[in-house]
Amino acid sequence: MSNEIWVLAEHKDGKVKKITYELLSASAQFSKKTGGQVATILLGNNLQEAVKSLMTFADKIFLIEDPALTFYTSDAYLPSIASLINEHRPSILLGGATSTGKDLFPRLAMHLRTGYVPDCTDLSMGEDGRLTAIRPIYGGKVFAEISFSEDRPQMATVRNNTFIVDQELNKSAQVISVPFQTNHSLLKKKVLGMEKVGGEKLDISEADIVVAGGRGIKSAENFKILEELADVLNASVGTTRAVVDEGWRDQKDQIGKSGKNISAKLYMAFGISGAIHHVLGIGTCKTVVAVDTDPNALIFNYADYGIVGDLFQVVPALTEEFKKVLAEGA
Amino acid sequence: MEIYVLVKQVPDPEAMVKVKTDSELEIENKYFTNFFDEVAIEAALRLKEKFGGKVTVLTVDNRRVDALRRGISMGADDALQFSDPALEGSDPFSIAKVLATYLKDKPFDLILAGRQAMDDDAGIVGPSVAELLGIPHVNSIIGLEIEDPKKGAKVTREVEGGKETLSCPLPALFTCQKGLYTPRIPQVMNVMKAMKAQIKKVDLSAIGLTTTDVGPHSAKIKLNRYFPPPKRPPVRIIKDDFPENVKVLVKLLREEAKVI
Ligand SMILES: Cc1cc2nc3c(=O)[nH]c(=O)nc-3n(C[C@H](O)[C@H](O)[C@H](O)COP(=O)(O)OP(=O)(O)OC[C@H]3O[C@@H](n4cnc5c(N)ncnc54)[C@H](O)[C@@H]3O)c2cc1C
Ligand SMILES: Nc1ncnc2c1ncn2[C@@H]1O[C@H](COP(=O)(O)O)[C@@H](O)[C@H]1O
Repeated sequence: MSNEIWVLAEHKDGKVKKITYELLSASAQFSKKTGGQVATILLGNNLQEAVKSLMTFADKIFLIEDPALTFYTSDAYLPSIASLINEHRPSILLGGATSTGKDLFPRLAMHLRTGYVPDCTDLSMGEDGRLTAIRPIYGGKVFAEISFSEDRPQMATVRNNTFIVDQELNKSAQVISVPFQTNHSLLKKKVLGMEKVGGEKLDISEADIVVAGGRGIKSAENFKILEELADVLNASVGTTRAVVDEGWRDQKDQIGKSGKNISAKLYMAFGISGAIHHVLGIGTCKTVVAVDTDPNALIFNYADYGIVGDLFQVVPALTEEFKKVLAEGA
Repeated sequence: MEIYVLVKQVPDPEAMVKVKTDSELEIENKYFTNFFDEVAIEAALRLKEKFGGKVTVLTVDNRRVDALRRGISMGADDALQFSDPALEGSDPFSIAKVLATYLKDKPFDLILAGRQAMDDDAGIVGPSVAELLGIPHVNSIIGLEIEDPKKGAKVTREVEGGKETLSCPLPALFTCQKGLYTPRIPQVMNVMKAMKAQIKKVDLSAIGLTTTDVGPHSAKIKLNRYFPPPKRPPVRIIKDDFPENVKVLVKLLREEAKVI
């Protein structure tokens, strides 16, 4: 068994995702305690760009390239990752709590018969190389601190925007190309296509800033004013279940218990009453702003700053004010 | 089609859940059938309506069988409760072991589960059952099309910034996300029938598992402690008139919160 820390890299259109850099930055800190190396596993096709951008973030890059890996499927990823792990026996394997991480990690942990903690909001490491994980349960009403048995690797997926990316790791990775070995008959699932929704905007689960509108916004068309605010802030637009059920916005933008958890630096809620199902999804946001006409709206109990007022007045004024101060700041 | 749906009764999101001690929670007695599991039941029933066959709901729980009754009232044909004192304190991997051990020699076409249980929020049971059975799985589906069960399924899953469509042969396991279907509201008659239905119980020995296969000692992770979420400071309502309030807010976000 080694004391290496491994991170499963994620990328989209050749670009490595922020969560991967976050995890590699945290791993670099952890590795100072044990002296182990930090490695990342990168699977896909045509990954030159991704390799280049990861070079300074890890000591080793395990690179597996094949056309069959263009899109993630557990059939294609799991056997390759499992055999690498069985060969090198890392102490820790981390991934993002993303659509890929949540699909792959539980199955991989079962396959390896090792411990896995999903959807963590913090990780720390002891001198002995033991990982401690923090995760919200019951939708964030309670947090659990969890440690691992003797089995290795210790596996965890971590929410977006949990760690700060350290641009100055200045590592120089050794790239280890690993052949993709598979019996193609084992590749049962085939990705037929990917429909992009929401253009170039980051997913609400990944975004630094999320602005959201609830039923108070009254129609699908009225979301235009939020889109304009979002453009100025480079934010993504989220919403409530009530709005999704009205058919005004897509399911993928729903925040809350039956939608997504977000971990934005700044969350702004407009015309959202603050039902428990909704606010459970914003528990790990850093700063929360609420704007609602009803001074008794529950959302104010979960906000740092509030304005009691009409969103149709406040949103356009905010857009103009942000435009102004951001232009001055630049 | 022969379809199994994995269901769990969980605290309603509106239920109060508080930390009692480091290792104990106080949970208000307000439970409901995990929302995503209801979506899964709905999907199973629609396939049964299209192709015929049978829908069976399964739960691993020593106490609560209301999720099974919910399944029956919605239209499931059969329901099984796995219960055994040794299951107390089992983690999702142990739960998966029980379900997969039972299912391994059953002739199923499809297994459906929820995206995650609204108590442990883990999302582990579904993919783990699929791993143990050696069948493919797809997580968090929001679309499911089956023309001919022999030819497999076309499923759509949520990914960051879009929707991905995959073909997948059957048998397979899918975990269901909101947006796939709206669960039907059972008729009162059927609710009454379900209340009276005899629930079949299965213990560990009946499926060939022993007490050492499950329970907290078999878990690969250990709870150190529970703790309450960090409290937010009280809200600061900006009382200035419009449009001054907007200017104040932007200033606070920049200079105090430093998030812009
Ligand atoms: C099992 C279950 C799961 C659920 N999961 C989720 C979930 O994941 N996410 C989620 O969001 N909900 C979820 N819900 C629904 C939730 O309970 C609420 O019904 C929903 O969040 C309400 O959405 P809303 O705030 O947009 O609408 P409302 O509650 O109708 O609130 C609208 C708000 O807009 C304000 N308003 C009106 N006009 C204006 C104006 N001109 N300017 C400013 N403010 C204005 C009103 O004062 C009000 O506060 C779930 C429910 C259940 C039962
Ligand atoms: N005790 C259980 N009995 C039956 N099915 C379960 C049980 N626990 C979880 N499941 C299923 O697995 C899904 C994910 O649960 P979890 O891994 O606990 O988040 C749930 O939505 C159910 O479909």
